Amino acid sequence: MTQAKAAVIRSDLDIVIARTLARDTAKALGFGAIDQARIATAVSELARNIFLYAGTGNITVREVERHGRKGIEIVCEDQGPGIADIDLVMQDGYSTSRGMGMGLPGAKRLMDDFDIYSKENEGTTIICRKWRS
Amino acid sequence: MDSLRIPILKIGDVLIASIQVALHDASAVQFKDDLLQKIHDTKARGVIVDLTALDVVDSFIGRLIADIAAMAGLMGTRVVLTGLQPAVAITLVELGLELPRVLTALNLEKGLAMMQSLTEESGDDAS
Repeated sequence: MTQAKAAVIRSDLDIVIARTLARDTAKALGFGAIDQARIATAVSELARNIFLYAGTGNITVREVERHGRKGIEIVCEDQGPGIADIDLVMQDGYSTSRGMGMGLPGAKRLMDDFDIYSKENEGTTIICRKWRS
Repeated sequence: MDSLRIPILKIGDVLIASIQVALHDASAVQFKDDLLQKIHDTKARGVIVDLTALDVVDSFIGRLIADIAAMAGLMGTRVVLTGLQPAVAITLVELGLELPRVLTALNLEKGLAMMQSLTEESGDDAS
């Protein structure tokens, strides 16, 4: 198992750093070029969400194994305002900012597992995984 | 930190911008502003934006490209997007961003040929 690696999100530059970390990790874990792009794009969307809504947060990337399958796990944590209605933000086209409302549902489509835990005024944690085929 | 500037080249009445590095948000917005200003300054009839070197195009950059095409269109200039990698095309569609109103070509060469026929058409209209 490789060690988990983390990126701190504080600015738009960190979005690029986080997605590069995710892509490099995915490549090291043996994901193909298309899955690397899916994983990097999903992390880009999630990192931008942290930057836009919480201001700061952390993204951790690690290798996971379940039932003999290997994969990559991305954990995004922030102490921002939280999400009042998770079902609403997971709808395509919903956006409260200058985004276009496809950040979270888009990231979900690019990954295999996608779970959101959020409490208003406390923060949001998103855990997503992609399994190697 | 200064945002990084994407060079915009002019050949005849076509502008060509080849994006070679991963853009962070501020440099992408700077690129949009620079390109629209350059269209105005040069009276370019067409713009080719080449993305061959990009391995990730997220919704922010995708949206920005769609905006650039729409804004240039309002100014009377056509935009052709060239060189999308297969993985980028796949993730854009899966993300839900199909850029239906953006003209595309497989590579820079085909993009130039497309631009030539587009600007010839509009040239005929004007005569």
